[in-house]
Amino acid sequence: MKKNLKKVLSLMLVLAFVFSLAACAGESADSSSTAPASTDSTESTAADSSAEESTLENTDVDTSEQVNINMLVLGNKPTNGRMEAAVAAENELLLEKVNATVSLEYIEWTDWQTQYNLRLMSNDTSIDLIITATDWLYAWPNSKKGAFLALTEDMLQTYAPQTWAEIPAEDWDLCKLGDTIYFIPEDQYTQWTNHGMFYRGDWATEAGLTDGVQKFDDLTTYFTYIKENKEGVIPWDVPGKNNMAGIISGYIASNSDYTTIIGTDTGNFNLFAYQGDDYKTVVSPYLDDDVLYDAADLMKEWNTIGVWRDDVLNYEGETRELMYAGQSGADQHHVQTYIGLQPNMEKKQEGSDAQMYWWGYENGNYCADLKTHGAMAVNASSENPERALMVYDLIRNDEEIYKLHNFGIEGTDYVMTDDGKLDRPAGWDQSTDALDTNFWGGRVDKYEPARVTDYADKDALFAELAAGAKEYQLSAFAFDPEQCPTEIAAVADVCSNYFPLLAYGKKDDPKATVDEFREQLKMAGIESLMANIQQQMDEALAQ
Amino acid sequence: MILDKKEIQAVKSKKDASGIIISIIAYIFVGLFAICCLLPFLMIISASFSSETAITTDGMGIFPKNFTLEAYKILFRTPKYLVGSYVVTIGMTLGGTALGLFIISMTGYALQRKDFPFRNGISFFIYFTTLFSAGLAPTYLWMVNTLGMKNNYLAVFLPLLMTPWLIFLMKNFIKSIPHEITESGKIDGANDFRIFLTLVLPNLKPALATVGLFLALQYWNEWYNTMLYLSNKDYQPLQYYLYKIINQAQALRQSVAGNQVSIENLPSNTLKMATAIVATGPVILFYPFVQKYFIAGMTVGAVKG
Amino acid sequence: MTTKVEKSGQKRNRFQKDGIPIKQKRNIWKDIKTHKILILMCLPAVIFFIVFNYCPLPGVYIAFTNFNYAKGIFGSDFIGFDNFNFLINSNKLWMLTRNTVLYNLAFIILGNLLQITVAVLLNEVAAKWFRKITQTLMFLPYFISAVLVGLIVYNIFNTDVGLIPSLIRSLGGESMSFYSTTWIWPIIIVLVNLWQGTGYGAVVYFATICGMDTGIMEAAEIDGANRWQRIRYITIPGLKSIAIILILFSIGSILKGNFGLFYNIIGPANSLLMPYTDIIETFVYRAMMNQQNFAQASAVGLYQSVFGFIIVMLANSIVKKVDPEYALF
Repeated sequence: MKKNLKKVLSLMLVLAFVFSLAACAGESADSSSTAPASTDSTESTAADSSAEESTLENTDVDTSEQVNINMLVLGNKPTNGRMEAAVAAENELLLEKVNATVSLEYIEWTDWQTQYNLRLMSNDTSIDLIITATDWLYAWPNSKKGAFLALTEDMLQTYAPQTWAEIPAEDWDLCKLGDTIYFIPEDQYTQWTNHGMFYRGDWATEAGLTDGVQKFDDLTTYFTYIKENKEGVIPWDVPGKNNMAGIISGYIASNSDYTTIIGTDTGNFNLFAYQGDDYKTVVSPYLDDDVLYDAADLMKEWNTIGVWRDDVLNYEGETRELMYAGQSGADQHHVQTYIGLQPNMEKKQEGSDAQMYWWGYENGNYCADLKTHGAMAVNASSENPERALMVYDLIRNDEEIYKLHNFGIEGTDYVMTDDGKLDRPAGWDQSTDALDTNFWGGRVDKYEPARVTDYADKDALFAELAAGAKEYQLSAFAFDPEQCPTEIAAVADVCSNYFPLLAYGKKDDPKATVDEFREQLKMAGIESLMANIQQQMDEALAQ
Repeated sequence: MILDKKEIQAVKSKKDASGIIISIIAYIFVGLFAICCLLPFLMIISASFSSETAITTDGMGIFPKNFTLEAYKILFRTPKYLVGSYVVTIGMTLGGTALGLFIISMTGYALQRKDFPFRNGISFFIYFTTLFSAGLAPTYLWMVNTLGMKNNYLAVFLPLLMTPWLIFLMKNFIKSIPHEITESGKIDGANDFRIFLTLVLPNLKPALATVGLFLALQYWNEWYNTMLYLSNKDYQPLQYYLYKIINQAQALRQSVAGNQVSIENLPSNTLKMATAIVATGPVILFYPFVQKYFIAGMTVGAVKG
Repeated sequence: MTTKVEKSGQKRNRFQKDGIPIKQKRNIWKDIKTHKILILMCLPAVIFFIVFNYCPLPGVYIAFTNFNYAKGIFGSDFIGFDNFNFLINSNKLWMLTRNTVLYNLAFIILGNLLQITVAVLLNEVAAKWFRKITQTLMFLPYFISAVLVGLIVYNIFNTDVGLIPSLIRSLGGESMSFYSTTWIWPIIIVLVNLWQGTGYGAVVYFATICGMDTGIMEAAEIDGANRWQRIRYITIPGLKSIAIILILFSIGSILKGNFGLFYNIIGPANSLLMPYTDIIETFVYRAMMNQQNFAQASAVGLYQSVFGFIIVMLANSIVKKVDPEYALF
């Protein structure tokens, strides 16, 4: 017994040591970086590069040393080898032109908010380019905290001349903190991500809405029809657990002229807006406007009708899947999703004629996408910021490199049809063959062909959206939440308590609940928060 | 009083009333509890073989609805990586458990020696780490910047080697081994380490099995450190690898990021179920082997007198 | 040679000679020399904790700074207790602390009771196969991730197709809406936690019982003690020391809630239930969802740690007074 025990133990110990040795051997070169946590590179690097020649010719820049530019992107690292193949082909071209290669590093989806910010916080010198966005990927906080390199006009003109030339001055202004540019906007790429409700055209017609859903209240008609006539179908099988705010904001958008001020959200709830054309005054319909009463009443009505499940607040279903299976009459998301959903719905539920009613459809109260919904920044502690910009310039503007980077190798990853659309080779499967380079920081319309799988009337839809959209007036306003974190947390807490109850009509007296909600907001300090936002906005607009 | 085996048997076979009642209670209680634990697991297994829409319409049950292998197909889509995950995880688990167990028992033995004057100080030193921690940011900076552990398997392997709780647990187990054993070893001229190795360890089977089991489970279930430090490795520990797949679907559906990628038809709930089975399965098979070591302890009689 | 165990607070030489206590001057170097092997044996663990726990610890300073990535933790501006404000001024600190502590107490006390019961009864099961199977089965819930637990609970209690409401309806009754009823959730949560942790925790007790001296048991049996008496007077007292250690350990984390459990069962949206089920972690998570403020997160952790520390020191000193052998240190 003793002997056996000893044998087993020693075997395992050997395993342990061998394993540790293997781990050391397999250590990637990056991990031996011992860069100190604090660097002060923002000012010095900018100064250094502006000392370089400021001509517009790339060839005058010193590219004698081959470097690798590491790009941080979001997504699960692909395992099918396509990305590596495409990047290898791309690198051949990059080496020729600027003696550099590009590599991708992924922030995987598990806890991506934490991972992304941790990476940036650690001042890792091995990253050069960073994907970011002002409205969902923490561009402003990270700029303020010193994660991004300040990009001077000289730098951009010298190292990314084509990008510099094609972006108009007002778009550059959107990326400035004070007078310094911190990232490059993806402004030449049209996308619409305003939200709304997808519904089935066939059922809408049956319900008497011959032109589909034209206004918010038509949804009530639509849902009531489904509830009464479609057995086993839940009108809108929404997972309340993941949609705490419901569509109250949609109701308000469609029934007023408030425009949400982006970046002033309190824990995922957008309370603050400007009204009509007066973009200089901060107001909140949640604090004092009767439209909130109407919204709450309608949601209560919907709850009584049975638009959603009884336990909607704890339900976690996949509404889109259910809609594809004919078990949900609606799904709520944005235009970009709709473009993929429409053809899919036709395939799965023939004749369903999926339509979209977007918030503000009837009164034009919706905005075009922010030009900084996608952006690319340079890491403040990057060792080769100049080359990084050059590589970015090429990926964005060189058609061959662009296609390799975004679509892959022609023939294997994609094919072009005779009418200039992008199609996939036979047997290509999204789930196993996707390229996943996720370059969301510099796509341009001119190199993006229409997809065969896209909604056929996409262009007409975009045109319709563009015709009615308002322009968002506060793109350059970067609210700093660190000036009043206490109020924000308190208000966020009140919101997380009341929003779900109001959005899903779970309280018997909506009006009283709204009044209570407003009382609580005031006690949480919403008025001083609003005053602070106003003050910051005044300062930003004065510049 | 020394009785021979036959007399002992005779006494044991005398059944007493309380014994029968306790037996009955034991069987019923343990049996019921085991069933309570089994049922939800059956629900998970059956859900993993069911179709997504059937689950949302009819809820989960004991038997699969609309039997389908869809969820498993997705999981096994890239078998190379799944197998790689298994290999990495098993390697780390075995290696880490062996090394960690050795250090833990060694430390536990030293700390329970009443004649060791530093034991309280060291015990407190170790215990204190459970009370205070610097938090995510400082720990991350320390591991990545100072220790340079980014993208290194050691970043997951090393921190899990031991925990204060396991050391204290082991210490308590070892306490029940009488001090006489140490003394008799000292009489024979052995030093503390030899005593530990040759006299104490062999008598620690239930303890080693217990602590070893917990340690192994810690390695098996680990995903957080992987997420922090290994997220760009090709072969990642199992739990994180499986979480990735689930979180991808979830992230794309819920977050704004989803507008950038075309959303594929990934079944979500059934996928979570299948993941749970794939992750747990091996451990269930492995546990019965460990049970062998939960045997009755040694008798002290051999040493006394 | 007789040995006498002295109170651990006293630093005299432990071995008496001829019954006369010898007062020896405390000489650390001599102690180190005598016990150098034992010290070496502790060394790997000590180094481990220094490297992985004590070294990053100064970074807790981040809780008092306005953390700037470029300046690093120690270069960032000091802002005193500002990071704690959002917690203090929320007016919820008391409610959250109370919920967290009460739940943890229920988990600790009921959990350990149930684990001991299961371990003792398991030991009384004679049929080995039965014991093996049930022990394996009891272990299963531990592996189920918090996300799945939330799903299972939903599947049992939701009004539309949940197991229990469906059962009630099929028996002709009217089921209540569980997810709108507040008082039942503390019970459900405690039950779920017990369900998940008992099999795992019972292993420790069971192993202790296995390690007990069988000679004493047999002697007691021969002396005429019946099963119940043997359990009551030998087995259970034998578990006392391990139980106290486990409980003391858990108390250090009494302010740290099981985020996964609460977040997945209750969810972020069901605010009807929150006064009964909100703990510190879930509140902080919702409040900081959009901000990724590392300094604030560390501040919360510090608050939880300090309180846990005070409580555990108190508890340990109480236990020490009663019987020093049971104390942690």
